[in-house]
Order: sequence, then structure tokens, then C-alpha cells
Amino acid sequence: MTAPTADRQTPDMRLILSRLRLGPVGLIAALAVLILVFSFLNPRFASIENLQNVLFQVSVPLIIVVGTTLVIQMGSIDLAPEGIMGAAGMAWILLSPNSRLDSDIGLWAWPVALGLGLGLGLVTGLIYAKLKVPSFVVTLGTWYVGLGIAILLYGNDLLPSLTSEGLARWPTQVTLGLPNSFWLAAFVLAGGVLLSHYTHLGRGLMAIGNNEGIARSSGMKVDLLKIAAFTIAGVLSALAGILATMQLGSGSPDIGFGQLFTVIPAAVIGGTALSGGEGGVMRSALGVVLLVILNNGLVLAGVDPDYQSGVFGTLLLVAIIAVAWPQRGRLKVAK
Amino acid sequence: MNIASSSRPQPGPSLVHRLSRAVAWNAVAPPLVFAGMLLVVGVLNANYLGPIGISIATASAAPIMLVALGQAMVLNIGSIDLSNAAISLFGTILLAMALPSMGLGAIVGVLLLLTLIGAVNGAILAYTQVPSFALTLGTLGILQTAALVTSGSETIYVSENRELVTVLYNTRLASIPLTFWIGVLVAIAYWAVLRFTVAGQNMTAVGKNERGALLSAVPVRRVKILAFAISGFTGGLAGLAIVAQAGSASASGLGSALLLPGIAAALVGGTSISGGVTNPINVIFGALTVAFVPIAIQAIGFGAQAQSLVYGVFIIVVVALTTTRARGLVIK
Amino acid sequence: MTHPIPPVLKLTNISRSFGPIKAVQSVSLELRRGEVIGLTGENGAGKSTLLKILAGIERPDEGQMEINGKVVQFRGPNDALKAGVGVVHQEQSLFTNLTVAENIEHQNLDRRGLSRFGLQDWGRINRDAAAVLDKIGVRLSPKARVGDLSFVDRQMVEIARAISVVSTSSGTPLIILDEPTAVLERAEVEVLEREILKLKKFAAVIFVSHRLDEILRICDRVVVMRHGALTRDTSTTGITKGELFNAMVDETPVQVSRKRAAQARTNTPALEVRGLTSAGRFRDISFAVHPGQIVALVGTNGSGRGALARAIFGAETCDAGTIEVGGTPVSHWSIGRAVAAGLAYVPAERKVEGMIGGYSGTRNIALVHPGQGRAGPFLRPRRMAKVAQDWFDRLDVSPNDISKPLGQFSGGNQQKVVLAKWLNSSNLKVLILDHPLRGLDVGVSQAVNAQIRAACANGTAVLMIPDTIEEALDLADDMLVMRDGVISATHDLNNTHDQHALKDIVAEMV
Repeated sequence: MTAPTADRQTPDMRLILSRLRLGPVGLIAALAVLILVFSFLNPRFASIENLQNVLFQVSVPLIIVVGTTLVIQMGSIDLAPEGIMGAAGMAWILLSPNSRLDSDIGLWAWPVALGLGLGLGLVTGLIYAKLKVPSFVVTLGTWYVGLGIAILLYGNDLLPSLTSEGLARWPTQVTLGLPNSFWLAAFVLAGGVLLSHYTHLGRGLMAIGNNEGIARSSGMKVDLLKIAAFTIAGVLSALAGILATMQLGSGSPDIGFGQLFTVIPAAVIGGTALSGGEGGVMRSALGVVLLVILNNGLVLAGVDPDYQSGVFGTLLLVAIIAVAWPQRGRLKVAK
Repeated sequence: MNIASSSRPQPGPSLVHRLSRAVAWNAVAPPLVFAGMLLVVGVLNANYLGPIGISIATASAAPIMLVALGQAMVLNIGSIDLSNAAISLFGTILLAMALPSMGLGAIVGVLLLLTLIGAVNGAILAYTQVPSFALTLGTLGILQTAALVTSGSETIYVSENRELVTVLYNTRLASIPLTFWIGVLVAIAYWAVLRFTVAGQNMTAVGKNERGALLSAVPVRRVKILAFAISGFTGGLAGLAIVAQAGSASASGLGSALLLPGIAAALVGGTSISGGVTNPINVIFGALTVAFVPIAIQAIGFGAQAQSLVYGVFIIVVVALTTTRARGLVIK
Repeated sequence: MTHPIPPVLKLTNISRSFGPIKAVQSVSLELRRGEVIGLTGENGAGKSTLLKILAGIERPDEGQMEINGKVVQFRGPNDALKAGVGVVHQEQSLFTNLTVAENIEHQNLDRRGLSRFGLQDWGRINRDAAAVLDKIGVRLSPKARVGDLSFVDRQMVEIARAISVVSTSSGTPLIILDEPTAVLERAEVEVLEREILKLKKFAAVIFVSHRLDEILRICDRVVVMRHGALTRDTSTTGITKGELFNAMVDETPVQVSRKRAAQARTNTPALEVRGLTSAGRFRDISFAVHPGQIVALVGTNGSGRGALARAIFGAETCDAGTIEVGGTPVSHWSIGRAVAAGLAYVPAERKVEGMIGGYSGTRNIALVHPGQGRAGPFLRPRRMAKVAQDWFDRLDVSPNDISKPLGQFSGGNQQKVVLAKWLNSSNLKVLILDHPLRGLDVGVSQAVNAQIRAACANGTAVLMIPDTIEEALDLADDMLVMRDGVISATHDLNNTHDQHALKDIVAEMV
């Protein structure tokens, strides 16, 4: 009874304003301001090398955030990327030319490592959709499982490092002025944008996030879409793991360490509501770029790297409070 | 896996459904799971259950248990506190820095400050109605920086008054350090709070049905602030246990990775992630189980590397078995 | 006489029971292309069950349903859609974060090749949606986001979706509008009325409404339901609202028991509101409720009465006006203060708002007014149990188990416990009841009413939102009629002896 009446005050200016403020325009403006300020603080910031460096750093979280955004858009959460990255990265390097030298299978390393991510994502999706275990718990579990697989693969042996010069240099090599890492990320990002705007799956995930009940009752294959989202997220995390391993030049179970704390704040700052149904892949990507540039600029400006998580955290707080502010005090459940 | 299966009463295809329908299952699962694990370890390698084994397991369980107890109180109101382990880490550093000069006053002061930090978390949640996941992720970042900056990224050794805290670890009662017993006392206290006090009744009411509680004049805001303050306070006690064990503190040392074990222990201890269901006594068993997994894995002969893998599978299996699946309920 | 074209809808002796309650009793109905029929009746008359049968949500126990000449048996909502039945529900079921076109074409995606290999053909989706919008003459951009539209525009999207889905089937579509005007402003209603007239050109329409004047204006025929059966099926020309209303309510007026003698009004009202206003919901509401008095707030769903009740209880904020409790003006009003001042509120959505389903009866009752159940910050479990047991015995709650989670009780027994929770106070000044009898059977209803009367006899003022007008006539001293956010009429039921005349007045108002 109260819901429709509440909806009736339609052009809720405050809501529209808050959406604009945090929309892509706001994000791009914030980025521009940041770039200006940092260039002023340290001329090295605007140098070609540094910008290439930023693009190099941005590529791994950019790949992850595409999958994470799809999952958050449907109202779930994905904590697993760091674990899946570890498992896939370790599998990949052990199957590529590496210092342990025992198991190189050449290009086949790619499908195996990506398949590992796909499998973990698929299992996550199945447990979530079919056994109805909250996504927080399932992905917490798969985080550990992925990490466990990485540690088992790693064993007690030496740290494997890439021996193929070509593979090790590939991420930093510049093609058409941009590092290859970034091209890979841009390719994934474009795919993510297409997926979320031009496919039944992408639109379906938005619909589920908006109202799962209606989605179900109007005959959508909700479970299938949920499983698909987690599977895609798994594959992308695996890809990110491989790229990060290549960038580092050696394998480590902890290859994904700290990524979750970039990716989730980035998605939220980009306007992807944790309750689902809002935001988009492109906005989350802008969020990632914003956070990485912020970090890079602060370091160049002479700020201790210790402050990074504090700055990210503060930004996250400001973003969520700004979104929630117009709605405060309403009779509403906040979990 | 083996551990979990040993506690299953009967196998069958509809096992999950039958088990989760039984109300009591939720309450008895955590001690059963732990007992099952003890049994497996006892049968395979009884050496691990000697005084030394118990001492090691309970010592490592103590901080996990304390963090998990705070988390359980927050999960009980239907929220989550991702910052509580960071609160406790920040607490260890403050404690290590203040102990030499302030002695016992340092302990009291740090506990008060951390309780306040928790309360601030709760107040932001209550007054702005942001999702607690994002909010506490933000404060987690801020507190990590606070820990790094105050410690200067170095290990801080407690130079004087060290025995004030290490006594808590070095004193044993039945081979079990005092820090663990403190956790047990806190668990019993929280159990009593939830069961016998107005505040506890209100907290669980908010977790079970926030709208219903709101319209029954339950002071929802105060309840949220209280739950997060409790989480901060308990995080402080966990910090105390860590300093007692290590005699030092550092932003990357002992206690820097308590968040996930804490959540895992709360969940394995039967706390519902969707709110309204927790039993602090069972969280003791949840923490013991989580702390015991590495030992059990070695006893079974898997090697320490399998630890994370087993953790992950364990969390999913235990929650899948105990979670409620009401018809039409949207699981996020 | 035989028709060359079969009727769009033909129901023959459709029945549906829920347990002992016959929600729909052998309903027969025919509807032809180009016809707009009005379906009306009191709450609980069986309208919504009949609609659910037509929409494929419920299955009839008996009877036969024909659509465009074909006998159909719906196994789910999708079957109904395929057969050509489009329902615009009371609660909107749109994805607010998607575009108008996506919402309209959403259910056609698989069927009409709008998405091939899982790819979305935006061009075609937008074109098709624009065509549908055009057909019904609505000027909306297919690319607009539904969440940014006004309520009436969203309703248009719902209609367009129904049209778009059913127009893929052969034959004439049947469009059902379930109380579409309930929450609309007057100007918006006019827009909707024009829409419905346009629909006549290619569809058959069932228009469900409580507002008789609207039905008389829009519809060609009107069908009245009462106790699950059709009581009237007639052309709208030459029929008056009074006649319709008589068909809606029982011929023999309810035995209005009024077992309670009207109390002498004291000078200070228990509750008085003056000029209470909440933008977009209600405005300039002034009335008073005296101790021992029962005031009924009647009106349709969108009239603002629910929001008013919540505002008085402090659950929603007001923009202007004052609330006085026992002669004292209140400030910084909140639920906590309201309860402390002696207010109680039984919400309409019992399971979601009225109680804690996971808590036992004992804990639910002790939640608000613990009485002896508390000592400072501590609970006294034994006292709590005793208090709960007293209430369970007194209200004859079944099963008589105070420790069983309340969510596992039947609706009627839940409502008894919800009432007990509020009545367990020695200082209950104002009892606000929103649809207290919703979904309850006769026996429980009487028990609940008895409690309301008893509270009243003890000097509690009661403000209730009844399900039916009979309910108000049975209990209330005064009746306030709300329409479009204002109190449009007030009746003193104690001094009006001709109950029939009163029904007519109320029918005129609602």
C-alpha cells in the first residue's frame, strides 16, 4: 500500500542529482581533476612512461572488475577472484616454460588455466543457484579453494619463474603506443560492455538484480543466468591471474593479493549498487582507473604507499554515503 | 570432507533437505563437526591430541574465536563487519606502543578506543543506512593504513610491562592458555546477553525481521551501534590475545589475517549470514574447528598445503548443510 | 442466435475453493471484442481469485474456460499470456532499471526472434516497442528508463507490455486491468480512461475497480461479485450507483452488533491531528479520536489512509501539521516516542511488519510492553512465559504453544498474538489497526473484534482501517472517508439510524 504511493513523487530530483553526481560524467570529471592535480604536483606524472605504467597497472583489476560487476549487478557478491587468480596463474606458469622446467605444454597452458577458472566459477554458480547457499559464503569458500589449489600446485618446490623471454616481455611491450596488458584488458572490457548491453544474459542479470521475483515469475531462467555470471567471472579472474603472473615474471599463490580491495570499491564508486540492478561495466572500469591513478599519483607526489588502503577506504565511504544520503531516515532496511 | 562426513547421521540423496529441515541440526552441528574432527585425528594420529597439541590448537584458536564472536554478534543483527579484524590489528599496535608507558591503563584505554571505533561504524550504518559490507570495507582500508602508519611498518616489541599481557598466554589451565579461557568467558557472556537481556532480544529481533522490529518500537539504531561496538570491543580482546602470544605487534605479523578465519569460524559455528541466528557457545566450536583444520590435515597426512583447500570446501559444506531455504526466499 | 465470431472470453460455472472458503462460485461470463466490462465488488468478494484464474496463477476446481472459442487450461502465467490474456496487476511488475522497450518486449525476446544467439537486437526491440506504444497512442520514448517515469506512465508501459505479449497470439487479446486507478491522481485517471477507450478497437477489456463512477463512465457493462458469485451483470446505461452498491453488499444488512454502548466523550481527545500533510500522500488532515471511541478510516488503496496511519504512529515523516496525544502536542515524533506515549499499531502486512516470525509467541509479546517480563536491562523468562501463556489462553491461540516460532502459526492466530503484543500494556491510549481482519476467517475475526471492543471499553481510542464497509459499520462510532489524500466526508454512525442510507452515502464517496 505504501510502496506505490512512495513511487508517485516521480521526478525525485535528489535521486536524479545523486545519480548524475556519481554517473560517468562525474567519474570522468573526477579523473580529469586528478590528472590535472597530479601533473601539477609532479611533472613526471604526465610523462609517457608513467602513463604507460598506469595502463600496465590498471589492466589486471580491469579484467577482474568486468566479472565482478556482472555478479554485483545481479545482486550477489564475488569474493573469489584472488583465489582463482592464484590457482590459474600457478597452473599457467607451471605449464609454460618455467624455471622448474618439468611440465611445459606450450600454448595448451592457456586453455588449462582458463578452464580451471571456468570450473571454479561454474561450481560457485551451481552451489549458489542450486543449493541456495549465499554468494558471500560460496565465494568465500572458492576463494580458499582457489588459494589451496595454488598452494598445492606450488608445493614445497622453488618459486617458478618464466623462462620464456617472449612471454615475460609481452605484457610491457608497446603496441600502437599502449602496453599489451592494456590491450588485453581493453579487449575484455569491450566484450563486457557488449555482453551487458547487447545480450540477453547481460540484460537478464540487470533484471535479476532489480527484482528477482518478477524475473522468475516472467519465465526467465534465473538459475542459468546466475550460473553463467559466476562462470564468466571465474574465467576472467583466471585470465587476470595469468596476466598478473606474466607481469610479475614468476608464479605465486598470492598473485591476486589485494585485488579484491581495489575491485569492489571501484565497482561501488563507479555506481554499481551492492543491492544489484544498477551501474555498469564501463563505470566500474572508470572506478578502477580512478583508484589506480589516485594511487600512482599519490606515490609520485611523495605520499607513503601505506596510505593507499586508507585513501581507497575513505573514497569508498564517501561514495556510498553520498548515494545513501538523500534516502536516509526513510523506513528502510539496511543490512 | 572426511571430517564432515563422519558427523552425518545417515547418507542419502535428500540428505541436505532432511537435515536442514530439522531445527536441532543447526544447534548441534558445530560441536558435532568438531567432535568428528577430533575423532578422526584421534584415530589416525592420537599424538596430536596430547597436551602440546591441545595447547597449540587452543592458543591459535583464541584470537580467531574472539574475532568470530564479535562477527557473530554483528551477523546476528543481519549485518557484517569486515573491519573487525583490522580493528584488532590496530589494537595490537596501539597496545604494544602504549604498554611500556601506561601499563594496565593501556589495556583499558585501547579497549575503550576500539569499542568507540566499532560504535562509529554502527552509527554510520544506523544513520546513513548504507550497506554494512561496503561501509566496513571502507573502514577496513582506513584502519589498515592507521595500523601501518602508527607502527611505521615495523614490528613493535613490548619493551616494558610485557608480563602484564604475556601472563595471559603463559598461564595455562588444563594445558590451555588463559587467552582461550577469556574467549570462552566472553562467549558465555554474549550467550547470556542474547538470551537474558532486553538488548540481546532486540538484537536478534532486528536480525530476524528488521521492519517488524522497527514497527515494534525496537530502537534499531541503538541496536546496530551496540552490535558494532561489541564487535570493536571483542576485536580489542583478540588484539590483547595476540600481543599476549607474540609479545610484539606488527601490521603484517601475527593477527594480520584474522578476518576470513573469523567469518569462517562464525559460520561454521552455526551463525546465519542472513541474520537472526547465532549461538556464541557454538562459535567456540566453530573457532576450534577452524583452528584445528591445519592440525587435522597433518594428522590425516595431507600436508599443510591442503589447508586452504580444505577450509574452503569446509565452509561451503557446513553452511550448505545448515542454511535455511524457505520457499520464495531470495538468496543474494 | 449464433455468433459467427466466438466470444473473446467465455467462462462456464468456474469455481475455486480454498479449504472451506468458496472464493469463486460457479461464475459464468461472456466477453466480446470491443467490450469493456467493469468488475466490481467488495474486498474478499472473489475478484482477485477470478483474476488469478484468468491469468493462469490459480487453477479452477470446476468449470470451463474458453478464449477466442478454444477451451483452455492454464498451467501457469505463461500459458495465459500465450493464449492472449494480458494482466496489468495492481502492484507494478516492471524492471525499473531497464528501458521502456525492454520491459515491453521482455517476454517476447525468445519468441519473436528479437534476440538471436542470445544477442539483443536493440533496433528491432525499440521499433517493436514503439509500434506497440503507437498502437495504444502513448507518447513515451522506448529508450527511457522506467524508473524515471511517473506512476501513470509506468502503468502505460504495463498496458503496452500486456498488449505486445498477447498480440503475438492469434485472435483478440483480452486485457485485464486490476484496479489501475487506485493510486492515480484525477488527471492521470482521465489519461487512463482515454487509453482504455482506444483499447476497445482491437481488444476486450476487463476493468476492475472499486470506484463505481469510473466504471459507469468507462464501461459498457458492469459485473458485480459478492461472496464469490456474480450478483449482477448488466449494461451500464440506466443503472445508478445506488443499485450497484446494493448488489455489492448483502441485502439483509449485516447484523450490526454494536455490542458496545457509545461512551460519553471526554473533553480531551486521546489523539488529535491538525493539518497533517505529507507531500504526495495526504494533506491537511484534521480529526480527533476520544478515549473509548472507534474511528474508521475508509477509502481506496491509494487514498492515503495507510500512509496517514503510519505517519500518526511515527513510522513516516510528515511535512506539516501537528499531532496531539492526550492533549499534549508531540515533537520529534518517532515510533519509539509514539509507543512510549501509548500508541499501538497493527500493520496490514502482518508477516513482514507486524511480527518477528522467527521468534516465539513469548518473545513477540514481550518485545514491546514487557510488563513484569523485565528487570532493568534483564529479561525475566518465567514472567515472560507466564504473560504469554495468559494471552494465549485468553485469546484461545491454537496451537497453545508459547515457545513455537510465530511464523509457523496460521494467519488468524498470528494476528491474535500481534494484538496481544500491543494490548499487553496498562497504558494503551490509541490503538491503530490497518486491515486487522485481512485474510481472517469469521471465527477469528469475531475474536479480534471482541478484543478491540474490550480495549475500547477500557478507554482506549481506536483508529482503524477496515477491509469492508460492513466492518466499519459494525465497530465504529465515526467514519472518516478519505479520497485522494484528503478527508472528503465524516459520518457520525451513532446518530445515523438508517444504515442503508449510510451505505449509499459511503458508496457515493468511495
